[in-house]
Amino acid sequence: MTDMPLILDSHLDLGFSALQINRDLTLPAASVRVGDSVDTQESYGTCTVTLPELRRGRVGIVCGTVMSRLDASDRATRTGMYNQQQCHGVGRGHLAYYQALERLGHLRILHKRTELDEMASMWRSARIGLDGSGPPLGLVLTMESADPILSPEQVPEWHALGLRMVSLSHYGTSTYSHGTATEGGLLPPARPLLAALKAAGILVDVTHLTDQAHWELMDIYDGPVCASHHNCRALTPGQRQLTDDMIDSIAQRDGVIGTAFDSWMLDPDWRRDLRACDQQSGATLQTVVDHIDHIAQLTGTSRHCGIGTDLDGGFGTEQAPRGLNTIADLQSLVPLLHDRGFSDDDVAGILAGNWLRLLGQHWKDSL
Amino acid sequence: MTKNSPVLIVDGHLDLAFNALHHRRDLTQSVQTLREREDIYRDGVTPKPLHVDALRKKVRVGDEGIATVALPEMRAGHVGIVLSTIMSRVQLPSNFLADGMRTQAAAHAIGQSHLHYYKALEGAGELTFIRTTADLDDSVAAWQKAGAEASSDTPIGLILSMESADPILGPDDVQAWYDAGLRSVSLTHFGSNTWGHGTGTRGGLFACAYPLLDALAAAGVALDVSHAADLTFWQLLDYWDGPVHASHCVCRALVPGQRHLSDEMIKAVIDRRGVIGMVLAEPMLNPAVNFDDLTTAPAYSTRPMAAIADHIDHICQLAGNNERVALGSDLDGGFGREWAPVDYDTITDLQKLPGLLERRGFSTEDVARILHGNLLTFLRRVLP
Repeated sequence: MTDMPLILDSHLDLGFSALQINRDLTLPAASVRVGDSVDTQESYGTCTVTLPELRRGRVGIVCGTVMSRLDASDRATRTGMYNQQQCHGVGRGHLAYYQALERLGHLRILHKRTELDEMASMWRSARIGLDGSGPPLGLVLTMESADPILSPEQVPEWHALGLRMVSLSHYGTSTYSHGTATEGGLLPPARPLLAALKAAGILVDVTHLTDQAHWELMDIYDGPVCASHHNCRALTPGQRQLTDDMIDSIAQRDGVIGTAFDSWMLDPDWRRDLRACDQQSGATLQTVVDHIDHIAQLTGTSRHCGIGTDLDGGFGTEQAPRGLNTIADLQSLVPLLHDRGFSDDDVAGILAGNWLRLLGQHWKDSL
Repeated sequence: MTKNSPVLIVDGHLDLAFNALHHRRDLTQSVQTLREREDIYRDGVTPKPLHVDALRKKVRVGDEGIATVALPEMRAGHVGIVLSTIMSRVQLPSNFLADGMRTQAAAHAIGQSHLHYYKALEGAGELTFIRTTADLDDSVAAWQKAGAEASSDTPIGLILSMESADPILGPDDVQAWYDAGLRSVSLTHFGSNTWGHGTGTRGGLFACAYPLLDALAAAGVALDVSHAADLTFWQLLDYWDGPVHASHCVCRALVPGQRHLSDEMIKAVIDRRGVIGMVLAEPMLNPAVNFDDLTTAPAYSTRPMAAIADHIDHICQLAGNNERVALGSDLDGGFGREWAPVDYDTITDLQKLPGLLERRGFSTEDVARILHGNLLTFLRRVLP
């Protein structure tokens, strides 16, 4: 038995970190840090997430993304693409990385509800070495921006490969919708895509939609929704965060909202015009709990709260909440949540149970 | 064939997917469009990006180079059939071209991203995979039928090749790659990788390479000896009984550097009935450039396309015939127009080669053999 609860992180860009930032995720974070070049450190920040760090923090199940988007104006990371064919290629590369890790025994891609349940119960009591050794991690395949899906007809193929959650957009405008930092709504291809996702039992993630697209989606789509990595606009201003009405709309569908650990989404004074390595975050793990608590107070329950850190998703430790060295430190949330009055059951739900419930509920094992 | 009809060009080495995914070039667009998109980073009108992608930094000025290869220009130049690569390798990112990956799992994943990009292009009708001799015949027929007519809707025939075998996770992964269409593999590229020593290093194969070679032979893949270190080259030929070619290599007797084939190596490839593909890159055609020390290369090219004529002639002399030379241009393969021949602008210009080579004394029959016949004959021997 252990006193460390199971954690499920609903948003990690592991494939991007391995392939685009070029990191060996099987090493401890400290080893990746000494191997990263100065350019990598300054562009993507200090490494926070690797497989041994996840295990040390008992983050036994993660949602790992396929992430590539249409974004011709991407001057920042130069990974935005011009044609969906390119996004499809990069996206399949992320999947192939997870499959290669699976072959080596580092993780298992979860396809069925029973596999999800077994992975959760195994990780609740798994022995973890101080070096981060332990059993394979469970990975739920998710997608940030649906551009790698070439057409709605391709959804069943992606489902067979393991895809279980999709957000239509990311930064900029995707094939299917306007996204963060743009103005506008869903685009015509969204409607048949949503129908195909619903038929396949793939969860729709509203993260990175514009306000207009969020409400249009709620209007035309009656399937299950979630927000894999999203915070509260009442606490941190900006289009990237959810208004209280949006939070309510997700809760009404019995969805879950994963609280994100990006200081840009936590600290209203975070400056995007400065590099992360030249400023100190005003956010701490208490700030993260503020967002969790806001959702719980607003909806009157903790059942819609989850963790979706997005750590190493284009930023590093310096843009994470102060006091977090690697993702293993997510366990520090436990006493903070108790101090806010959350019960043991609440905490277990926030850290993993709520996501396990939502994911399992809608997966169609028979497909 | 009349004097004025275009000659079908079969290029034995292009890195199309690498350009599409790592340089963000949408190859369905014109070269002009690709250049306009890249100029915003180059011309200083807009500020340099806040984040500079560390993986894309090169050892020399010019970044990834000025684009010259896109599908419309290939069709216009009747570059109708190509071997195009899966290209990713295990190598410290700080070395040489700085695009190596840290683990084989990552190299495998990058390789898969290249494969699925080609599949997406096939789905869009831009290209068609050539997996069998029948596929090859169909593609040749389609291009011959296109003739001098508009060929803008003829799909490019693609034979999947691999430069550095790191994306193959082990002998038991070979069949999956073969089923996907893989028909030619070079074990190494720059540096040493999972399987052995390549360009810029000294040494041979590692022990794990031999079971991989067995699996490649069993599947029916051709062995490409480009980018083998010298010891690797001879160990490969000692062990391997199957078809051998050098997809993109020139002659060490004419230009210095380990990257090029010595006369003994050329004779060995000739003895195996292999073909050697001529490369259109300044550092491989200029005798003043030592490939072992690329700081000897000028920032811009100085030679015309016809510079390959000396290498063609050298190989024909060693072979005693005109059957062992082909084209493996490697255009946009980590360099752009600045290192391509001075009379070359886009890949459409490969269609100038027939005239240029005939002016150098090659017969019409020689030219047809060099630009498609020899490689097609070799491929018919490899493909099921």
